[in-house]
Amino acid sequence: MNKNAFWKLLSALMVFGLILSACGPAAATDVPAAATDVPAAATDVPAPAEIVTSSGFVCPLPDQKMEITSKELNLFVWTEYIPPEWKECFTLVYGVTINHDEYSSNEEMYAKLNAGGTNYDLVQPTDYIVALMVRGGLLQKLDQSKLAQVYAEMDPNYMNLEFDPGNVYTLPYQAGTDAIIYNADKVSTPPTKWADLWNPDYAGRMVFLDDSRVVIGFTLLTLGYDPNTTDPAKLDEAKTKLMQLIPNVKLFDSDSPKTALIAGDVDLGMTWTGEAFLAQQENPAFTYVYPTEGAILWQDNWAMPAGAPHADAAYAWLAYTMQPNMFWLMLRDFPYINPNKAALDFAKDNQPDLYGPYMASPITNVPVDAIKNGHRIQDVGEALPLYDQLWTEVKGGQ
Amino acid sequence: MFQRLREDKALQGTLLILPTLAVMVGLLIIPLGLTLIISFGQRTADGGVIYTFTLDNYLRLVGITPGCGFKSECFDPLYANILWRSLTLALQTTALVILLAYPLSYFIARAPLKRRNTFLFMVLVPLWTNFVIRVYAWMMILRTQGVLNGILGWLANLLGLPFVPLEMLYTPSAVLVGMVYEFLPFMILPIYTSLEKIDPALYEAAADLGANAARTFLRVTLPLSMPGIVAGTILVFIPVMGTFIVSDILGGRQVILIGNLIQRQFLDARDPTFGSAASLILMVMTLIVTYFYTRKFGFGEEIVAV
Repeated sequence: MNKNAFWKLLSALMVFGLILSACGPAAATDVPAAATDVPAAATDVPAPAEIVTSSGFVCPLPDQKMEITSKELNLFVWTEYIPPEWKECFTLVYGVTINHDEYSSNEEMYAKLNAGGTNYDLVQPTDYIVALMVRGGLLQKLDQSKLAQVYAEMDPNYMNLEFDPGNVYTLPYQAGTDAIIYNADKVSTPPTKWADLWNPDYAGRMVFLDDSRVVIGFTLLTLGYDPNTTDPAKLDEAKTKLMQLIPNVKLFDSDSPKTALIAGDVDLGMTWTGEAFLAQQENPAFTYVYPTEGAILWQDNWAMPAGAPHADAAYAWLAYTMQPNMFWLMLRDFPYINPNKAALDFAKDNQPDLYGPYMASPITNVPVDAIKNGHRIQDVGEALPLYDQLWTEVKGGQ
Repeated sequence: MFQRLREDKALQGTLLILPTLAVMVGLLIIPLGLTLIISFGQRTADGGVIYTFTLDNYLRLVGITPGCGFKSECFDPLYANILWRSLTLALQTTALVILLAYPLSYFIARAPLKRRNTFLFMVLVPLWTNFVIRVYAWMMILRTQGVLNGILGWLANLLGLPFVPLEMLYTPSAVLVGMVYEFLPFMILPIYTSLEKIDPALYEAAADLGANAARTFLRVTLPLSMPGIVAGTILVFIPVMGTFIVSDILGGRQVILIGNLIQRQFLDARDPTFGSAASLILMVMTLIVTYFYTRKFGFGEEIVAV
């Protein structure tokens, strides 16, 4: 039976491929035809042909085209975390084939790279795993001279953070927060701090990320402790406290907590920037609250694994996709905190429909206090099994 | 050389099983050996393995805190509870699947020959869809504002009854429903095969000898279909022991099963040594249950009716 499904899928793919390949050349031949008309009518300077993707997006030219010899680029990125136009434009501009693998957790990415035998050119680690990767020799230093322009255009608030002083290994990609979300139509006593989540009125009405570090982290915060503590006594206290939260939990979901919120299965919980923004667009009653104890801050970054076989293509990719007239696409596809200042300026002038809501929403345009007050998850090394055991006990104790 | 190959039956046999043997050794025996070695090792802070010989991982699994001694306060049945929970869920699922699959298989096996293929086809059609997508479909059905509550609400409205949407999704029952649904076809097919093979003359003989329907079923049909039930049980029970996707999606990740535990060790906890020990324990436990089960009921081979 699986075989049948396989053939169906294959034939569907082939038909799709045929349509694509039929469209491709047609679109490509249209453009030079239009372009050749222009010089004939106007001057003798040939206008460069426009590069257009299959979706009709006009690829901007690279601000500075790099000399590269690689014909391939191996990306290892988060699931659905790259605008589709980037890949097509990069291939059209540089003639490089992009191989694209995805992961859905830092741990998955780390395990794969740590096992060795991979040949990725770029990965997207989140802050806390960067230090671990550097320590394990999994990353190589970035050649900042090749990316001077990009470095200069970044918001300094997202640069030079403690997980990578001087941005020796990483370049900020997107940032965000983990905080409280509630449905104002259904919650009469809105939470303002993490400690409020223990309110018995919320019994069986909440969704939490299935992320042991973050959930244990905010529990530690309610007790007045460091969310990265390695003290077994404090963790034991956090366990007792967290067990009391369990009756309020309807589900844990790290993939898409907004789904249960929008579907009305739960009325409040915790989620991250992008999910909160999308939930709010779906239903304005959803309100995102930065708890007074401090939200959890995170930042995804580009990094280059040691021994990347196509480093030249990787630098070209970073320089090209991070330039403002490319990176604004992130505002359209992934409404997180955008650390690329030049891209925001570009969107302000050219994409006011995206820039307006981005700036207006405290979810994406985070108040300075919320950032200053926030906490970052750090790797706890030896103490990690303690966290895991705590999590297993909390979930196993029913 | 070639002549020898033509004549030597044993050599032919060896050559023919060589590819399978290579796969079994390369992808089963060797990884299993590595798992065993790693399970006796020690974790490093970054998730590496120090190859030593320590029983700590196994002690932790059975609930003894390493280095604490054999006092009662050192005993923590955390992981034993998780194993127990996984085992009960697997046994419940298997029992329910047998109860549901048997009548259906019986119905198909006794249907006119022309219809049988259509019915079997209908049993198999859902398998064309991806496993996970089928679980998500149950999510749509069971959620508070989902299809089932919609239908119930509509019916209640029709009858003028008050209706409060039922909380079905993210409960243990939802997990059980999803598990039973996912594994039902793997029980229907073997039971159908063994029922279909029963010679109708045996039923006539039973009737001639004065057996009523219930007696015929208990003395003829059931014993003759036991091989199907056994084969189906093995096909269902073993994968169910290790699976956690259904419980994660329909149960809202509120509980940890042995499958979750193992996965977490290799990812979030970065403790491959403990993960290896846990997967070996799971394997041993599954083997033990399967062993006693097949000792009692045979390995799905034909049992001659007494």
